[in-house]
Amino acid sequence: MTNATIQEIEGIDDYWGPAFRSVYEGEGGHEAFVQQLDERIKQHDKEIEKLCNFYYQGFIDSIRELLQVRSHAEELHAEISNVDANVKETTDSLCSRAEELIRARRVELNIAATIEKMELCLPLLTTYSKLKTQVDAKRYYPALKTLEQLEHVLLPRVGPYKWCSQISADIPRLRQAIQDASMADLRDFLENIRKLSPQVGVMALKQTQDMLGRSLENIVKNKKEMMGGLGKDNIGPQCPHELVDFSPLHRCLHIHSVLGAKNDFIQYYRAQRKQQARLVLIPAVGNLHDSIQGMKSYLSAVLGFFILEEHLLTTGAGLVSKDWLLDTWSMSVNKVASTLRTNTSLITDPTLMLSIKHQIMLCYGLPPDPLPPVLQEMAEHYTEVLMQRWVSVFRDILDNAAFLPIEVADQEQYDGVMDTFPYDGDELETQPFPRKFPFSTVVPAVYVQVKEFIYAWLKYSAGLGLGGGRRAAQARHSASLLLSRSFTGCLSALFRRPLPLMQLVQIIVDTQYLEDATSFLYEFISNITGSELVTTQAAGSMFQAARDDAEQQICNNLEKKVDEFLDLENYDWLLVEPTGQASSFVTDMLSYLSGVLTSLEQLPERARVAAVRAATNRIATRLRNLLMDPAVKQISSGALYQLDLDVIQCEQFAAGEPVPGLKEGELLEHFASLRQLLDLITGWDWSSYLHDVGIEGGKYALVTPRDAATLLEKLKEAEQKSSVFSVLKKNERDRRKLLDTVLKQLKQLQNQDG
Amino acid sequence: MAKTYDCLFKLLLIGDSGVGKTSILFRFSEDAFNISFISTIGIDFKIRTIDLDGKKVKLQIWDTAGQERFRTITTAYYRGSMGIMLVYDVTNEKSFENIKNWIRNIEENASADVEKMILGNKCDLDDKRQVSKERGEQLAIDYQIKFVETSAKDSLNVEYAFYTLARDIKAKMEKKQEASNPPGARSGAHVLRASDQQRKPPSWLSRCSLL
Ligand SMILES: Nc1nc2c(ncn2[C@@H]2O[C@H](COP(=O)(O)OP(=O)(O)OP(=O)(O)O)[C@@H](O)[C@H]2O)c(=O)[nH]1
Ligand SMILES: [Mg+2]
Repeated sequence: MTNATIQEIEGIDDYWGPAFRSVYEGEGGHEAFVQQLDERIKQHDKEIEKLCNFYYQGFIDSIRELLQVRSHAEELHAEISNVDANVKETTDSLCSRAEELIRARRVELNIAATIEKMELCLPLLTTYSKLKTQVDAKRYYPALKTLEQLEHVLLPRVGPYKWCSQISADIPRLRQAIQDASMADLRDFLENIRKLSPQVGVMALKQTQDMLGRSLENIVKNKKEMMGGLGKDNIGPQCPHELVDFSPLHRCLHIHSVLGAKNDFIQYYRAQRKQQARLVLIPAVGNLHDSIQGMKSYLSAVLGFFILEEHLLTTGAGLVSKDWLLDTWSMSVNKVASTLRTNTSLITDPTLMLSIKHQIMLCYGLPPDPLPPVLQEMAEHYTEVLMQRWVSVFRDILDNAAFLPIEVADQEQYDGVMDTFPYDGDELETQPFPRKFPFSTVVPAVYVQVKEFIYAWLKYSAGLGLGGGRRAAQARHSASLLLSRSFTGCLSALFRRPLPLMQLVQIIVDTQYLEDATSFLYEFISNITGSELVTTQAAGSMFQAARDDAEQQICNNLEKKVDEFLDLENYDWLLVEPTGQASSFVTDMLSYLSGVLTSLEQLPERARVAAVRAATNRIATRLRNLLMDPAVKQISSGALYQLDLDVIQCEQFAAGEPVPGLKEGELLEHFASLRQLLDLITGWDWSSYLHDVGIEGGKYALVTPRDAATLLEKLKEAEQKSSVFSVLKKNERDRRKLLDTVLKQLKQLQNQDG
Repeated sequence: MAKTYDCLFKLLLIGDSGVGKTSILFRFSEDAFNISFISTIGIDFKIRTIDLDGKKVKLQIWDTAGQERFRTITTAYYRGSMGIMLVYDVTNEKSFENIKNWIRNIEENASADVEKMILGNKCDLDDKRQVSKERGEQLAIDYQIKFVETSAKDSLNVEYAFYTLARDIKAKMEKKQEASNPPGARSGAHVLRASDQQRKPPSWLSRCSLL
């Protein structure tokens, strides 16, 4: 057992308890065990000895080698130190070069970085200098753009340099300067526009006028002129607003919109313009009507103002709004209206008025309904002015008229008349040339002029938004007013100077044809207004007043001629024996009158009757006055017979119905009182006179006792004179006595009446 | 009572249409001129009183239409005329040639003792003249009629023409009166003027009573 224990001990590393126990408790006790241990030690010693014997030679060799290595190491050490020194020597310069290189590299990097930075700054600087030159050149809008670029693009890109901040600080100042400068420009512009707006107005008026005056003839003429002077035409502005250079304004507007002050700017602009409007609205010349020039320039200024604003409305980027324009307009319109009202009432240029209206319409855009009062008033005044204008046209026609029936020598002339005036030429058509129209040149001339008037009149109402029917009605009204008032007025003026009889006759005939033509005028109106034809209004007596005037003139004319003949009267009031022949002034007069009356056959019956009545009445009155003339103190019965003979001639003339349409014997009535007086005295019919006196329808009812007495007195005077030295016969004495008695009785009758 | 005139002469203007008869009369009666041509229709007259050697002479001047169509109306007035103006237009050859016809008309229709005078009118229009003054004078000599060139427009010789014609009429009338009424016959204190004269004289001389 002891063996096992040693094995156990050797096998077990740490838990040696049981081993020890077995030692103590096992057989032989612990001496066994020590013995065994001794054996064991002897065994191990043998083994160690064997092992040492085995490795001893190797150990010796190793020591020997080790000693050898030691010398080698010492050799190597020296060599290495040598090399090391060598290396150290050579690398020293290399190291310094490397260090140099490193430094250069750093500089190079720095330079690149600087260049990069500088390159960033450069645009900023060039831009800044550009800005400066732009400002200097007053190119404010680009300057602002540059400024903006500078501020928002370039400056942030470049670092926070001192000079940058200086520029930054400069920017608001520059901006302000630009704003100020552009404001100055605006003021210049405003001043300029104010100066130019009258010219603009003038040009607009002129163009309107040109458009109005556009006849085929003018167009052809203008075409020709244009062909001739193409180069010239291109130079001048074509539209009124082109007179003004709006670019400063637009620039300012741009500048301000860039500056973000667009609204302020618009406000400022409008306020300024409104103020200008107020100035414009006060006429520069006190009394516009004193000179038409004043009126024109006033309107031109106003018109120019609104044309420019209107132009801006369509082009000016919100600078002028329709509302604002209308607002300004309505502010102006009252002022203008009152100015116009006080002044237009004296305008006499319809073209000017049309232009005014045209401009007003332009300003209004679409015409509102009802029409603005000023247009309405102007419409009325326009009509007035047109009428005045046509008065002078008519006057011209009448002044140059020969008042002879138109005579045409060939078909061409005939057609010329027929083309201008609606005349039913059926009858004339078949006659050989020369053909004679019943009317004079006045008729077609006036007809054409009335048409012209209608054209001109319609020009005003054009575009006013009136319906065709209403326009037509108003045009008809104006046209008939023109004829019945203006033309008739001209005719009356014509009658103020003495006209030859035949002219008067022709005037009456002419008015008739003109009157008949009014329905054609109405047709014409409805054609050009495109409305229905209105035929109800009969123009009937449009020229009745004028005709009455003319008839009156004819009567006066004849009466004057009668007077002239009667002024030739050369009665010998103491004539003893009548010649038995009518006085020559009476026969001349009567043959003259019948000649004239036959040449009046064109006249309407009424007028001829009036004329012959007037002439006859005049003859009767004048002849009767001769008898009653207080300057004729004595009348012999011979003279009385002579007068009686003359009166008989006249009565024969009257009874012969010199013109048709008279009442039976009516002309004779003019001679009735003279006849009764003559009959009474030549018939010595005092008894029936005195018997019938005061009785209605008596034989001598028209002879007053006073007239009878006057004439009797003259007779008595003459008889007394012729018988101063002669002895009266018995019957003469009786007659004288009777005469005295009758005279006495007549005196009594007179006294009773008186 | 006072008469407004002493003597009445009836004169007549004849000649082609457009020669200026009306214008001459208008110049003489109104002292005015009208450039526009209004051809006379039928017949018209004007009266002007002139002073001839202290006598108030009333001239009743008949203006006739030159147009052919009025010929019948106008010739009726020849007979009563005491003086006739024959008018032609110096710028119109035809009107001058027609003077012969007008003279024939007078011979056929007027009193034998009518005074005549030829007027060459429009002598202001020298550049348009077709009839020389000499030809006018020659014609007048041929017919033994007085002649003068006139211009109604420039008022040239118009007064002269009328005065001359009136004076000639007056001279002729006084001669006739002397012949029928030797001086002294009128000197009776209570001789009535009117009854002195012949009742039915053969010519116009009777129509004028000299006071
Ligand atoms: N230059 C010029 N023109 C004249 C003269 N006399 C008349 N006339 C013009 O001639 C034209 C005819 O004149 P009237 O006097 O009307 O002619 P008339 O002879 O009366 O013509 P009838 O009435 O048709 O017979 C008018 O235009 C006148 O102005 C004149 O002396 N000189
Ligand atoms: Mg005439």
